[in-house]
Amino acid sequence: MRQRAGLGTALAVVAFLTFFLGPFFWQVLTSLWPDGELTRSWPSHLTLESYVSVLWGRPFLRVVLNSLVVAALTTVFCLVIGSAAAFALAKLEFRGKGLLLSAALAVSMFPPIATVSPLYLILRAVGLRDSLVGLALPYATFAMPLTLWVLTSFFRQLPDELYRAARVDGCTPFQAFRRVLLPLAAPGLATTAILVFIFAWNEFLFALTFLTTPEKRTVPVAISLFASEYREPWGEIAAASVVATLPLVVLTVLFQRRIVSGLTAGAVKE
Amino acid sequence: MTVGPGRARGSLERERRQAYWLVAPAVLVLAAVALYPILAAVWLSLHRFILVFGERRFVGLGNYAYLLGDARFWSALGNTAYFTVVAVGVELLLAVPLALLLQRAFPGRGLLRAAVLVPWAIPTVVSARLWAWMFNPDYGLINRLLLGSDINWLGAPGYALHAAILVDVWKTTPFVALLVLAGLQGIPEDLYKAARVDGASPWRTFRSITLPLLKPALLLAVLFRSLDAFRVFDAIYVLTEGGPANTTETLSIYAYKTLMRSGDFGYGSTLSVATFLCVVVLAAVWLRLLGRQEEAR
Amino acid sequence: MVRSFFVVLVLGVSVLSAGCRRGGGSGSEDGRDGAGSTRLVLKYQPLWGPPEPFRELLAGFERDNPGVTLVTEALPNSSDLAHQFFLTSLEGGAKDFDVLVADVVWVPEFARAGWIADLSAEFPPERLREEFLPGPVEAVVVEGRTYAVPWYLDVGVLYYRTDLVPRAPRTYAELERFALDAKAKVPGIQGYVWQGRQYEGLSCNVFEALWGHGGHAMGENGRVLLETEAGREALAYLRGLLVSGVSPETVMGFGEEEARRIFQEGRAVFMRNWPYAWSEAQKEGSPIRGKVGMAPLPTVSGEPGFGTLGGYQLAVNAHVSPERRKLAAKLISHLTSPEANLVLAVHYARNPPRAAVYDDARLKESSPFIAGLREMAERAKPRPVTPYYNLISDVLQSEFSAAVAGLRSPEESLKRAQKQVDHLMGEGR
Repeated sequence: MRQRAGLGTALAVVAFLTFFLGPFFWQVLTSLWPDGELTRSWPSHLTLESYVSVLWGRPFLRVVLNSLVVAALTTVFCLVIGSAAAFALAKLEFRGKGLLLSAALAVSMFPPIATVSPLYLILRAVGLRDSLVGLALPYATFAMPLTLWVLTSFFRQLPDELYRAARVDGCTPFQAFRRVLLPLAAPGLATTAILVFIFAWNEFLFALTFLTTPEKRTVPVAISLFASEYREPWGEIAAASVVATLPLVVLTVLFQRRIVSGLTAGAVKE
Repeated sequence: MTVGPGRARGSLERERRQAYWLVAPAVLVLAAVALYPILAAVWLSLHRFILVFGERRFVGLGNYAYLLGDARFWSALGNTAYFTVVAVGVELLLAVPLALLLQRAFPGRGLLRAAVLVPWAIPTVVSARLWAWMFNPDYGLINRLLLGSDINWLGAPGYALHAAILVDVWKTTPFVALLVLAGLQGIPEDLYKAARVDGASPWRTFRSITLPLLKPALLLAVLFRSLDAFRVFDAIYVLTEGGPANTTETLSIYAYKTLMRSGDFGYGSTLSVATFLCVVVLAAVWLRLLGRQEEAR
Repeated sequence: MVRSFFVVLVLGVSVLSAGCRRGGGSGSEDGRDGAGSTRLVLKYQPLWGPPEPFRELLAGFERDNPGVTLVTEALPNSSDLAHQFFLTSLEGGAKDFDVLVADVVWVPEFARAGWIADLSAEFPPERLREEFLPGPVEAVVVEGRTYAVPWYLDVGVLYYRTDLVPRAPRTYAELERFALDAKAKVPGIQGYVWQGRQYEGLSCNVFEALWGHGGHAMGENGRVLLETEAGREALAYLRGLLVSGVSPETVMGFGEEEARRIFQEGRAVFMRNWPYAWSEAQKEGSPIRGKVGMAPLPTVSGEPGFGTLGGYQLAVNAHVSPERRKLAAKLISHLTSPEANLVLAVHYARNPPRAAVYDDARLKESSPFIAGLREMAERAKPRPVTPYYNLISDVLQSEFSAAVAGLRSPEESLKRAQKQVDHLMGEGR
């Protein structure tokens, strides 16, 4: 009985691992497959050619850099603004608190397509169309609600006594936030930063719409347009995908616990 | 919470004022990137607005009247609904066993936990590309595994939408499983012990303890995922761009093509507002169900 | 760990944004580098083939115009995506490129939108009519003014395997018979491959079938007319190809390249494609080298069919300064000269839009097949010429796709298409 359960578990583990990791490994294999042999059932040897041509034959590193800039800008922007608000939401009394949290939740459910045309017109009007900075702003649509929810739940977990003690010591609410609670919320900030970073790195619709110059493309846009610019170079697409994904995979595996707690904090703790 | 009783009323007042200052930037940002655009989209949807030629005139509800008779809109709505229902359903069916598995102690659990997050972390566009290559009718992995099959996964109506669903399932099942897992961890161990003492079979234990207590977590997962699936864009844009014959065209794709391909900002906005309204209705229904669930407890 | 993550993040942003400023700065408004040299940017779709001859063509312009550096920037290969790019960048007043390629169907639209400059002074319409073939001239002259100059011309043609069929089919019935006969002889081979994916290539195939059935799509007062007998027959014919097995079901997912790859691997008898596929097919090591023929598309009657006019024109971004505009016109003149036509024809199998080039001895010698395409080039027919073409093309693609996939009858598809087209073009409002 025990053994059968063990076998069942093992089979289930193998099945899930195959389903979730198999396609990724196939992609890695494709990226190492010699270009002329993709039509064969098995490669005769493995090669790094696709990586060489992606990294040196195309402006792909530039594209990775663009994504880093946009994702980092979004992260910093949302954390700076969001942490203050999250602190107030968790520890201070004021009217409209529930409304703000529900509003944030509602915004996070906005289909991006609903706001894309006005945002396009706004960015064009202020001259931020086709700019990486201009892209970080609309990213707040999904990043800000995420920041507010995750961070608010983190601040709530910090004991009220800390805040009260700081106030008794003569801190203003803002000082209490900056000097006492913010440093303690660092793990929460890190979690939020990772999540926002990943979401911003992966965003596609806004990047596709607001950026026009090829040199400004972000990773998802560049990868989506790969085939159309050249002759469906599957090996290179795979290599570019691996390059673009590896940082995320490493980040995810390293911070797995944090990501899980962050993803579920906003959702389940309420 | 309240501040110590010794404090004067003025301090409370000041705290409130500071609170407003602290949330003000966030509120402003949300207003700028969400509230204003959605109102502007509604306003745009009342115009004939051809971006290219600067043609812009007020047409009232004309676009909405056309929308009601627009067969393409209804088919996009149908595709979106089908995609949402099937994708979320399959994700739940896979996520529950996965979560149960992740809850068990076995060697390599950490590995599995990290591994399932890989598809979640990969950009949707990348995963769509990855699957597009696997779906390639001539050289893709899937037709290679199904020896001799020459199914045109992305080119044939009937297959293409399901291929897109598979990509979504692959990518988001881990997220659902994590939500379910968090729910599982909230179930008191004592209940299971008691069931074991009573000699209940594992299936019975699952049906009468796990499932009912998991319901709030499941509902929440369904809420999040269905709203997310309903606005699907990236995967389909990369896989099929809505083809063949618009059988994979979702509301977001139709609206996007009208806006950015055709440059018809009037009717395109009408379509995006319609998508938004659908999401609002969906959210309201789910929240209502969720609220009833809370009351019942 | 957490802190170091932040330090890295902040450092990363500052370093990268500095790099960004540097990178972005090189394309400054007037495009001048420090030393007084002018940077002229050409946006085009990469020409498939060896890069050297085209590079040499560009270098020739730089030699004739000292102080000018030519920069080429690639556009997405798919015409739909390239259009989306221009829509967002030109509408937004982008000045970062000077000369752009425009698809035949975009010129009336871009001209009306005021995005491309009037070139009538440099290229008077009368002169164009004298020197160029009629199809492309109609595409670039809008209300008597020149807005672009034909660069190269494309026309839909039929490729066939000389070793598998007796001769090029003249009628649709012949095409089907030849294909089925060859399929019976050669196991595993496909009959006729074409472009059936939901995109502009499908519309081209449909218009060709429409003309082949004796129809046309332009009604009175610039109305695009779809609900016609020929339209229904055209869609029924294309659907029938799939039903009878002449074409594989997979054509519903095919663009130009998918079709070409199958054909080039020797796995299809017939292919509808543009002339570019010829040099690919005749390349060293190609399995079908020497076994390919090109012919006008078949029709119902057996008359040589009309092929869709494709290809690209060169236009000048209307947002750039007058001096740059002058230079840009000079570049266009260089790139559309008879010599340039010849380079594109010989090395890239791009059909010359200039009539005289077809008689050039050098062309006849090195690329006889292009010289032989003259008749087809003269029968190149534009899709409905209207500034609204792009607006309606998405509707056409989806309804044509539905009919080809058999989801709707041709009647139903055309009815729905007509309704949406009328709405978009502002009729029946």
